[in-house]
Amino acid sequence: MTSEPVIKLENVWKIYQLGKVELAALRGVSLDINRGDFVTIMGPSGSGKSTLLNMIGSLDFPSKGKVFLKGKDISLMSENQLSQLRGKTIGFVFQEFNLLPNLDVLENITLPMVFQGLSLEKRKARAEELALSLGLKERILHQPAELSGGERQRVAIARAFANNPEVVIADEPTGNLDSITGKKVMEILTDFHKKEGKTVVVVTHDPNIAGYSEKIVNIKDGQITVNHQQAAEVLWRH
Amino acid sequence: MEALKEYFHIAVRNIKTRSLRSWLTIFGIVIGVFLIISLLSLSEGLKATINEQLQALGGEMVMVMPGGDEDIFSSMMFGGAQLEREDIEAIEKVSGVDTVLGYSFTGTTGRYEDEAKQIAIAGMDPWKESLEILGIFQGWDVAEGRWPVKDNEVVIGQVVAYDVFSREIKPGSEIIIKGRKFIITGILKSLGSRQDDSIVYMAMESYQDVTGEKRGTAAYAMVKLEEGADENIVAEDIEDTLSKTRKRRFGSDEEDFSVITSEKMGDIAGNILGIIQLVIFLFASVAIVVGGIGITNSMFTSVRERTREIGVMKAIGAKNSAVLIIFLFEAGIIGFIGGIGGTLLGAILAKGIELYGQAHPVFYFTASITPGLIIFGLVFSFFVGCLSGFIPARSAAKLKPVEALRRFE
Repeated sequence: MTSEPVIKLENVWKIYQLGKVELAALRGVSLDINRGDFVTIMGPSGSGKSTLLNMIGSLDFPSKGKVFLKGKDISLMSENQLSQLRGKTIGFVFQEFNLLPNLDVLENITLPMVFQGLSLEKRKARAEELALSLGLKERILHQPAELSGGERQRVAIARAFANNPEVVIADEPTGNLDSITGKKVMEILTDFHKKEGKTVVVVTHDPNIAGYSEKIVNIKDGQITVNHQQAAEVLWRH
Repeated sequence: MEALKEYFHIAVRNIKTRSLRSWLTIFGIVIGVFLIISLLSLSEGLKATINEQLQALGGEMVMVMPGGDEDIFSSMMFGGAQLEREDIEAIEKVSGVDTVLGYSFTGTTGRYEDEAKQIAIAGMDPWKESLEILGIFQGWDVAEGRWPVKDNEVVIGQVVAYDVFSREIKPGSEIIIKGRKFIITGILKSLGSRQDDSIVYMAMESYQDVTGEKRGTAAYAMVKLEEGADENIVAEDIEDTLSKTRKRRFGSDEEDFSVITSEKMGDIAGNILGIIQLVIFLFASVAIVVGGIGITNSMFTSVRERTREIGVMKAIGAKNSAVLIIFLFEAGIIGFIGGIGGTLLGAILAKGIELYGQAHPVFYFTASITPGLIIFGLVFSFFVGCLSGFIPARSAAKLKPVEALRRFE
């Protein structure tokens, strides 16, 4: 692919100061995530994969090195500029769903659009469309506490899709779900990738989840150990 | 604008979710605003009442009251030590003094027809001269009937005639005070203050018979000056004379009386009102600061509890300003609801005191509850809410998304 990567990490270091001790969670990581990629990041606990995910999601700034989001160096952007660009470009799906408990399903889905300044009509139309396509139509006025785990994760996915982002980043999206529900969630993400040509980045422990992706990044001790394209025939084996 | 509406909506939802804590915080503000509104309306009312009194006193008169300068208002409003016969006679001898009018008043029960009510009575000495002087210098006049000529005849103010008893009093009617029958010969035109209009005026002797007050004494004296006399010089002379008289009698240098010119009265009233307003301001400030700390505390707890939510909001595109506004709205709404409750309760209390005052003429008082005061109460409480919530809201807005998401995980 000749076009510019949608997210690019260039020799990224993340060093935490723990008292007098310095802990490097990432050590010179370089990674390109291109438009239309489906990338899985794998690694054991403490390997630095969450830190890497934060960098890819522009949620954190590197101690050294550079992160580019749509070609823009995030360290040169103000917090507000970055929030706006992140909200427009990236959708997040968390292991714990992270829905706002005081808002109902429809309000949770519309929230990213509120922050992008979309009109009420547009927000409502888009949220209803997403709720319908993800089988949540009957649940739009329910509170998150009234939903099952699978439904909550579908709401979180709908919220991540709300601004029609170029990238969806999912952190252990099936971690709190049973295998059947988890599979459905992965199918939704795969559809998003396949049908709309969008970029999906998944962090997981689960090798089965990795099977959905075309690119696997293994990380250990803050460094990428394997970064390879899977064979095309492996890609859609599920 | 639409985003603001949505932030407001989120803030309302958040407040509802923690309703018990929100109501307790609101209660803190209710107390603060209640104090501010009730005290301000009462102090404004007091100011208006005192101004009415001062206007009624007018110029060319000097007042002599028992008690030092600092006790003037308590003596005036609630009575105090008496001026003795010797004091009054001494004042009469001072050069520049034309007439000395002894004046006492108190509250008692009056019976008109079958109805007994709490009324105020005032005794004046000398009776006929007092009425003449007050007629000339203070503009007293009868609206109905005639001036009294005998000791068992009285005149009454407008409030006594029309408001106190269920049936209106007509000149020529009888009123019974402490078993003594008096003929009401006239109803005075309004004297300019509700308190003065709420009094039954009678001869000092009759007053002293009814109340048992010692003959020859008076609660205070109104001194009419001779034409051309300088009120300040006469006041000083009265002071010297009274000091000597009292020293001779009691053997003490202590000045337990006050000689007040209209100018001095204005100064004293101004000072006292200034102190009252300052004290009210301090009390109200303490109350509102305590309420504000309650909001700050509640908002900090809320920020801590919802750190992860803040992280999520920021991750999905919320700017710092969006988070700040949501939390400021929460604090402002708490303040505003507290303001509504406090203003309502404060106005009810002030109005209640005013109504009590109308039922008991001696304790006459007007509460000043203006639309301006109500708007002030509401806007002020919203502002206090926002101000108290600002630091927690800013700390929420400044949270880094990654740190906020990590916390409590």
